[in-house]
Amino acid sequence: MALLGPSGCGKSTILRILADLEKPTSGTALVHGQAPETTRRKHELGIAFQDSALLPWRSVESNIKLPLEVSGVSKSRQDISDLIKLVGLESFTKARPSQLSGGMRQRVAIARALVIDPKILLLDEPFGALDEMTRQRLNLELQRIWTERATTTLLVTHSVAEAVFLADQVAVMTPRPGRIMETVTIDLPRPRTPAMMRSPEFHALGDRLSDLLFTGGIPNSGDDK
Amino acid sequence: MTATTTAAKATPADAKSGRTMPTWLPGLIGTVVIIVAWQLIAMLWGGERHVVASPTEILRTLGDDGWKLYGPNIWATVREAAQGWFWGNLLAITLAVIFVQVPVIEQGLLRLAVASYCLPIIAIAPVLVILFRGETSKIILAAISVFFTTLISMLVGLRSADQASLDLVHAYGGRSWAQMRKVRLPGSLPSLFVGLRIAAPAALLGAIVGEYLGADRGLGVVMINSQSALNVPRTWGIALVATAVAGFFYGLTALVERLVAPWAVKARQ
Repeated sequence: MALLGPSGCGKSTILRILADLEKPTSGTALVHGQAPETTRRKHELGIAFQDSALLPWRSVESNIKLPLEVSGVSKSRQDISDLIKLVGLESFTKARPSQLSGGMRQRVAIARALVIDPKILLLDEPFGALDEMTRQRLNLELQRIWTERATTTLLVTHSVAEAVFLADQVAVMTPRPGRIMETVTIDLPRPRTPAMMRSPEFHALGDRLSDLLFTGGIPNSGDDK
Repeated sequence: MTATTTAAKATPADAKSGRTMPTWLPGLIGTVVIIVAWQLIAMLWGGERHVVASPTEILRTLGDDGWKLYGPNIWATVREAAQGWFWGNLLAITLAVIFVQVPVIEQGLLRLAVASYCLPIIAIAPVLVILFRGETSKIILAAISVFFTTLISMLVGLRSADQASLDLVHAYGGRSWAQMRKVRLPGSLPSLFVGLRIAAPAALLGAIVGEYLGADRGLGVVMINSQSALNVPRTWGIALVATAVAGFFYGLTALVERLVAPWAVKARQ
């Protein structure tokens, strides 16, 4: 599931509410049928932000272990090293964040989000600060990671191509007031390949989303203050 | 922050001047020029009244006095300063943690802390010397001297924690104490050490001021004695020794920082 919308429409806020980092001003939010606070307390939540938020004094391995230490969930050494292998950092296990590139730091952040085997994975533009090439590569990897660890994922993004490439469903949001305008089902087969990004189906879906984002927003702009 | 950017900007310029002379050379030349000028002034105008002692004379007296005079006195002062340093810093760090965890307490107590800093220690010293016997008054003065700077640098360090990292700990079910232990405390080390480096010389100063107002031994005591005996070279010698001791502990703190938080030192470069 991807959440797509212009900046300032509240995508990240939705994600923060689901992570129990913020409280909704009205209404309630449910994650798999329970309140975000319950999900958080039961340690069923994995999260990664645009900023990798790695602790500079910890090694890659130790950063990935942080959620375990905080939540009290325990994992074997083997689990940790499998996870590091999954994100392709096995030769950097003991490296410090300052020795890693931006892309590698985000891999660590993804591994850290997965370490407690979350029931829901919240990704807030995890590759948003990276260059286009790294971003493409990591999107492919993210897909591979999902095939190995199927986890309900909410991806916040402002990239149409990224949403089509990664998501099964894309919820398009309107700019202020941020509402979900429409949920589009992406029925492209998996695994999706970069070649698929050039297919007419891919473009048709991309155009559909762009239409919703840009022209669909116009009637609403009259409601703005 | 500003220091880092200026340092970064200064590097290319340094590299350019580095072709003609190494960076430590101007500093050395400056020191030598001052010492030679001092020697000349002392020889020309110092006269027999020894108002200005020459560097050679100071060094000779320093050598003559040697470890017999300085050893026990340095030890006494350092012992007082070290205890004051320990208690002052311990109190400051504990309070900073409490302030961040329970902000209500900060509003009341921070003003008191500011007051402790504004109060000149020379004004409170006589009171303490009357109240407490022996080393205690000096230890308290040393503690007061380090307390505020450490409190503020620790507060800044704890508050500068990365918000995303704090959010992360929260999202994994951690409470504010987990945020403190996992993110805030380790993250505060660079800032704390800025305060601790200032604290080492400050604690010595506090102890020496205490000794000024009455003690059996210590650098402050010999300083007063040699001053009233008009032993100018020795007075200078003591100043030199006190500076060296303070510098030593300053350097020691920087060294400990490299061992405890190497990532912070690296980040600053």
